[in-house]
Amino acid sequence: MTSRLNVPDLCFAVFLVALGALAFALSGQLSIGSAAAMGPGYVPRGLSAIVMIYGLALGIRAIFSGRQSFPEIALRPILLTSAAVALFAVMLPLVGLAITSFAVVICSGFAAYDVRLRENAVVALILSAFGVLLFVKALGLPIPIWWR
Amino acid sequence: MDLFANLATGFAVALTPANLGFCLLGALIGTLVGVLPGIAPITTIAILLPFTFTLPPASSLIMLAGIFYGAQYGGSTTAILVNVPGESSAIVTCLDGHQMAKQGRAGPALAIAAIASFVAGTLATVVIATASVPMTWLALKFNAPEYFSLMVLGLTGAVVLAHGAPEKAVAMVLVGLLLGLVGIDVNSGAPRMTMDLAGLADGIGFVPIAIGMFGIAELAVTLGKPQDRSLLTVKFSNLWPTRADIRACVPSILRGTAIGSILGVLPGGGAALSSFAAYALEKKVSSTPERFGRGAIEGVAAPEAANNAGAQTSFIPLLTLGIPGNAIMALMVGALMIQGIQPGPQVMISQPQLFWGVIASMWLGNLMLVVLNLPLVGLWVSLLRVPYRIMFPAIVLFCCIGTYTVSNTVFDIWTMLLFGILGVFFYKVGAEPAPFVLGFVLGPLMEENFRRAMYLSRGNPWVFFDFIERPISAGLLLCAAALLVILVLPAVRSKREEVFQEE
Repeated sequence: MTSRLNVPDLCFAVFLVALGALAFALSGQLSIGSAAAMGPGYVPRGLSAIVMIYGLALGIRAIFSGRQSFPEIALRPILLTSAAVALFAVMLPLVGLAITSFAVVICSGFAAYDVRLRENAVVALILSAFGVLLFVKALGLPIPIWWR
Repeated sequence: MDLFANLATGFAVALTPANLGFCLLGALIGTLVGVLPGIAPITTIAILLPFTFTLPPASSLIMLAGIFYGAQYGGSTTAILVNVPGESSAIVTCLDGHQMAKQGRAGPALAIAAIASFVAGTLATVVIATASVPMTWLALKFNAPEYFSLMVLGLTGAVVLAHGAPEKAVAMVLVGLLLGLVGIDVNSGAPRMTMDLAGLADGIGFVPIAIGMFGIAELAVTLGKPQDRSLLTVKFSNLWPTRADIRACVPSILRGTAIGSILGVLPGGGAALSSFAAYALEKKVSSTPERFGRGAIEGVAAPEAANNAGAQTSFIPLLTLGIPGNAIMALMVGALMIQGIQPGPQVMISQPQLFWGVIASMWLGNLMLVVLNLPLVGLWVSLLRVPYRIMFPAIVLFCCIGTYTVSNTVFDIWTMLLFGILGVFFYKVGAEPAPFVLGFVLGPLMEENFRRAMYLSRGNPWVFFDFIERPISAGLLLCAAALLVILVLPAVRSKREEVFQEE
């Protein structure tokens, strides 16, 4: 029976409880101290407990607050944009900015539904050259252009 | 201190060739992103933040401020010509501005928008200059409890004025505060919640979070939506408004400026809210309210004046108290802190060149915008023809490079990716990222002041609410409580109406 479930609210509540629990566990080793002389753990533990309780309250309300299904997610833009960012993180230390920029632009270009192959390749070439000239040559940022 | 002497100091800083250049650059970039729908000024500021680190503090703040108010100008151009708000504060400008364009009066609409923005910008600069001195005097009376209470009020304001469900905004503030605590504890030196990751020792990076949530997430969500950019072929038969237009607009501009100046100072306020309020007021005081929505020039002038005034006065809490009132100001705090400047009342005294230089540059920037904007309308319109599928990969690339340059590690890129995905999740469940960013920036400051206040009061929490010893702190908390009550009231009312309708 999902007739009364508010799915987006419930997902958000689960996220809050999980995050609160994680923060509570991670700050478990820290000393709490007293209200007059707080240790490093006082505020993190207090705040993560509040987040958990707040999440629980939102979750209980979401179960009874009327049906709402999770909004549709357009997967293609999200997956390909994420992939482009991941590519940047993996490739940059290996092959330098020039090739990485090209790959990132090609990959993220496909996130748009109306991508055109030739146009995307040209844009990638221009942006790659522009990025190297502007950021490395003109602004002097310490980014490797090629592999080392 | 004398106001004119202060302004003279400011203009001496703002009029140096380099700072004039950064002011112009910021204003132009701001107009550009204001014109283009799908890129918000907050995204742009987040992306450009890392590139300003090498600049002197005044230059970097001058440029970032220019982006913010430049976007207010640009947003109206798109609203009038395309009926799409280039920027969220230009939504109401669509109503009458686009109607005017359809009637062949695009020229006067654009001109009055620019003039209204300029007049409002000039008056708002004077407001900032005069309000800052007493505000700073007040701020020097602030101690740990007052700062804590002020931040509570600021966060409450952000919750009340956030779009969407307020209970989710509260949750986002809490999550922001919690994540702001990650990193080494200042008092004890103990690493907190770092999971033994070296990249988290100094806390989660502010730039990766901001770019992830406002850049990457925003792009992915925008791409998932259908695009509509039908351009109107506009004829610029006459650019200048008639004498009757001007006469009708003068009171509207002044009213808009007043509303914008007040709402801009409020925590959580700023440009978007101001323009809505100004439009509503114009409709109310007009003797012919039926003209609104059908091309009334007052309906363009008032909101444009209000959003520009609001954009500028939202700098007051930041510059005097060091408390950001909205997410864009939170980015400015980040920019200052990375420059090694702790925002707060001491900035005005220890760095008068920075403080007054930024204020003077705002007026200069507004002047540049009004001079440049009208001749450049053709250029902006042609930029609107560039399809999103070409702009979008460029923005992704700049987001990555910008984040990487902060500390030259790919750790920040992964952080950005994580917060980009989280940002999409938040968007889908209807939770606003702005209160989160505000909480994240204020988290460490709040904890520090909370701990210090509790230490000084020997663990007595009533130190925050002591009307005799600490009237300012108690008053601020009372304001926060009042805001929450207001927030609850209409909800109660509408709930009750629902119940009544069902019967």
